[in-house]
Amino acid sequence: MKKTKVLVVDDEVEFASTLAERLELRGYDAKAVYCAEDTFAIVKSDPPDIILLDLKMPGMSGIEILMTVRTFAPDLYVILLTGHMDIEKEIEGIELDNFDYIMKPVDIKELLTKIEQARK
Amino acid sequence: MGHEEEEAIRIAHLKFIGKVLSVFTHELNNHLAIIKESAGLIEDTLRLQKSSGKYDIEESLKIIRSIENQIGKTAWICKKLNGFGHRMDRALSTFNVNESLEELLVLLNRVANQKKVSFEKDFQEDIPPVCSDPAGLQLIVFCSIDRLLKSLDKDSSLIFKTKYSGDSIRISIIPKGDFIESGEREICPEDISQYVIEQLDGSIIKNAEDKGITITLPVKTAIGTTT
Repeated sequence: MKKTKVLVVDDEVEFASTLAERLELRGYDAKAVYCAEDTFAIVKSDPPDIILLDLKMPGMSGIEILMTVRTFAPDLYVILLTGHMDIEKEIEGIELDNFDYIMKPVDIKELLTKIEQARK
Repeated sequence: MGHEEEEAIRIAHLKFIGKVLSVFTHELNNHLAIIKESAGLIEDTLRLQKSSGKYDIEESLKIIRSIENQIGKTAWICKKLNGFGHRMDRALSTFNVNESLEELLVLLNRVANQKKVSFEKDFQEDIPPVCSDPAGLQLIVFCSIDRLLKSLDKDSSLIFKTKYSGDSIRISIIPKGDFIESGEREICPEDISQYVIEQLDGSIIKNAEDKGITITLPVKTAIGTTT
């Protein structure tokens, strides 16, 4: 069976690489990248099924990365990672499909549920 | 100074503290997220090793060391916030300008990082301690940083220099990079810094050429006494 490809995007290198490793241990094909440019390159060359994307990235916010990614991968499922309690305000006025979010620190069980929901 | 000016300073100070706290808690949350993932990875690894019957203690020790390292980084930034909080204990105290600037730069580093702007330090060592209001000085520097960060483009830098010249300490904030029209609102109105620096018997000069800021603070060893 084809593994679900998950791309973890977060400028906190240790967080992203560890989370990707934990997803790998659970049977996902998970990769970690740490900046917007690498995200765009991977989505174009080897599109994942799901992106876990940090909301606060240097230079370009998670929302800006999401909107850019959607221009060449409109149906890609995105789960925003955020430490911000007020995420509804952050995404106010933005029309988003195939989208969910999860709070950091991440509860792995909750994340796995969200990934499985996204696959359906 | 009138009541309106005092009220304006109080509001600016509250906004400043609010900003520092929001940046700090975001940073702390990220540290906790890393620690939680690392602890989770140990659990995952041990479960896997238990089911396979093959134990690799080195792998777990490596992750434990990384957790210790992360806790060390977290404690360090907590100390900076604690120091920042104590700057407001008294209206006047004797402090080292370099240390008070260093503290502020650590606490605001994430804001600069979000903008892809780097902070660079060029502090003169062995500057004498001053008797002044460190919280007031940090407010002035914060207002300048906020203003410059909102007008600097990505991949720029802010250089912080300190220089002692006998009876005063000069703090220069020099932007390097392109300027943009951001339209973002500044946290402090420009005249706030002027009110505060007057209370400290110092001065602020805006450099029209490089858009940098120079703050001069008199070196007082005791209240009202310059060296």
